[in-house]
Amino acid sequence: MRMRWREYRATLLVAALSAAFGALLLQGTVLLTALVAGDAIGEKESVQVALSLVSVVFFAIAVYVGGIVTANTVGTVIAGRTRDIALLRLVGADARRLRAGIARDGILVGLAGAAIGIVVGIALMEALVLIGRSSGDLPADIPAVVTPMLVAPLVAVTVVTWLSSWVGSRRILAVTPLQASAAAVEPDAETIHSAVGRRIAAIVLIVTGALLLGGGVVMGLVTMLGVLVGMVGGILSFSGIVLAAPIVMPRVLRLVGKAMGSSPTARLAAENAVRNPARSSRATIGLVIGVTLVTMFAVATSSYYDMILRASEQYPEDYAGADETLAVTIGVFSVLFGFSAVIAAVGMVNTLSLSVLQRQRELGLLRALGFTAGQVRRMVLAEAAQMSVASVLFGVVLGTVYGWCGAQALLGSMLGGGLVAPSLPWFVLGGAVVAAAILAAASSVAPARRATRVTPVAALAVD
Amino acid sequence: MTITTTEMGLAARVAGVSRRFGVGHGAVVALDDVSVGIRRGEFTAIMGPSGSGKSTLMHIMAGLDSSDGGNVWLGDTDITRLPDRELTLLRRRRIGFVFQSFNLVPTLDARSNILLPFDLDGRKPNVDESRWIESLVDTLGIAGRLTHRPHELSGGQQQRVAIARALATRPDLVFADEPTGNLDSRSGREVLTLLTEACSRFGQSIAMVTHDPIAASYADRILFLADGRIVDERPRSTPEEISALMLAMEATR
Ligand SMILES: Nc1ncnc2c1ncn2[C@@H]1O[C@H](COP(=O)(O)OP(=O)(O)OP(=O)(O)O)[C@@H](O)[C@H]1O
Ligand SMILES: [Mg+2]
Repeated sequence: MRMRWREYRATLLVAALSAAFGALLLQGTVLLTALVAGDAIGEKESVQVALSLVSVVFFAIAVYVGGIVTANTVGTVIAGRTRDIALLRLVGADARRLRAGIARDGILVGLAGAAIGIVVGIALMEALVLIGRSSGDLPADIPAVVTPMLVAPLVAVTVVTWLSSWVGSRRILAVTPLQASAAAVEPDAETIHSAVGRRIAAIVLIVTGALLLGGGVVMGLVTMLGVLVGMVGGILSFSGIVLAAPIVMPRVLRLVGKAMGSSPTARLAAENAVRNPARSSRATIGLVIGVTLVTMFAVATSSYYDMILRASEQYPEDYAGADETLAVTIGVFSVLFGFSAVIAAVGMVNTLSLSVLQRQRELGLLRALGFTAGQVRRMVLAEAAQMSVASVLFGVVLGTVYGWCGAQALLGSMLGGGLVAPSLPWFVLGGAVVAAAILAAASSVAPARRATRVTPVAALAVD
Repeated sequence: MTITTTEMGLAARVAGVSRRFGVGHGAVVALDDVSVGIRRGEFTAIMGPSGSGKSTLMHIMAGLDSSDGGNVWLGDTDITRLPDRELTLLRRRRIGFVFQSFNLVPTLDARSNILLPFDLDGRKPNVDESRWIESLVDTLGIAGRLTHRPHELSGGQQQRVAIARALATRPDLVFADEPTGNLDSRSGREVLTLLTEACSRFGQSIAMVTHDPIAASYADRILFLADGRIVDERPRSTPEEISALMLAMEATR
């Protein structure tokens, strides 16, 4: 099955972003280690360990988000190609061979994207070093920051793209040749079919992850390494939530849909979002990830801030000048987190707009039956609004839990640390809500406009 | 032209309509200078070989597609250059359509699909309309399937749901593209009887595309299309007469 270039664009972009991020982190670590540590051997090592730890955590988060985004993109593309796949199956194509083909494309796209990303990352760092040197902020004799280690992010991103293409393409196996002639574009039999297995896997992942998260918090009271345990717990439990999304999201969506009013467009939109759980969870999960990340970061930093504040009241001498360090740390962390949020946003924009484009026939039919172009656009917009409200709610709850756990696991062991209550920075959350709404609207209005510009018959003829 | 479409006793009319698909070497002329009217309160059948332009003609008459030349009237409204919004409202209130395929909104169950035209207009069917819908659903034999979604219905059931939807609002004109194509001969006959009754009892105007001479024999009037042109027109005829005509048309092609 030949995929269209458009369908790979997001995957390529996500791979490039993740790899560029990895390259920057890696070179940054090398550079900072050289700058900070001076000559003392012991000091150098501990700085290197701390910096590497931070780099690995942030890179892992970015790659993980990229992986989920890619799996979702592939899943969306395949859902839209159900009839093509069914036709190929009808004439005798082997489902596993088709799936292997998609995964192979995943390696190629992943490798290409990662290579582009690494090159961009190196170039950016080179430029930064040049600027730093000429302005005198960096000494002239800093060592080369390009290391053979840069192969690591290349390999990691390629492997993850391959794996997530593989995971995302699993529904190819569920497509039967019969669906070539079915009127329904995306029957949800597959969702129902695997519901039990999915439920069990999700529960196992969430419970194990939650236990590890809790363990990380407890460990964090003694050592900073608690954050590593917590991170594994976070990734496991979040994967469980992603798995459970087609079961959980429709309920959240139903709640939100009730609040949307009772005009025909609003009601149809509400039903659409709920009646196709697989589609709406694929479209929303990207947004959930983004909001979770931003909330997590905001809650973590503001809890961190509370902790430092409390500690500096108890130990004023030890925390002299902490304010400045704090501002810098928070600034750096914001950028690091923002990166993963950008990857999530790319994923969301892409899945939302793809899933609107794939509904061209349905939208054409509605217009043939008397929906005005404006009503169709409003319906799509209402669906997007409903999905973004639901995802933001969900993401804020998750992010608060993860953020607090992260802050505790990383910093509970510091002087004067201990347990603090999670603190919610409202302006950041407000910003996330607004950004989510704008992104959701922007990514669905443009394709809806495209879908309504042609005559209803032309829209209906699209496959 | 001062005489209006309504005064001609027509529900819809096209004059000198052409439609081409594609450009240059691969261009196809689907309709070639067609002028024809669908009479009000009559059941009209449109016949012709595959690819002769039947679907295209219906789409253009219903305002679903634009023509490359000529004029189109729905009732007294010239819809040739009507803005999309007004055209849509017209379709919603005055036209019912049964497509050759892909008729139902996949996310809605059969009942919601039937009620969709009311929903779109932001109203609920009144008592009289509800009774009409109930009798439609009964006659079409889909009463037990109302909570099912399209992919859970057979092709013929989907088609019957679409027919119920097209007739539900009692629109001025119903277009049906091969409404009996997926039905066995008994349910096909039932659908045709239903259409004939809607015509005789409520004065419903209907235009139906079909390949089946038996189906066409239910119609008050039969139009024959070949290579994008109207080549013949007959009053009510027997299946045998219609078969003979079709065979003759195919022989001269
Ligand atoms: N979107 C399109 N693009 C290109 N050609 C088209 C398009 N739609 C129809 N045609 C061509 O126009 C001609 C008439 O098509 P139409 O669908 O009206 O035929 P029909 O009489 O309904 O045939 P059938 O009985 O097979 O449904 C055909 O030759 C067809 O190939
Ligand atoms: Mg046709």
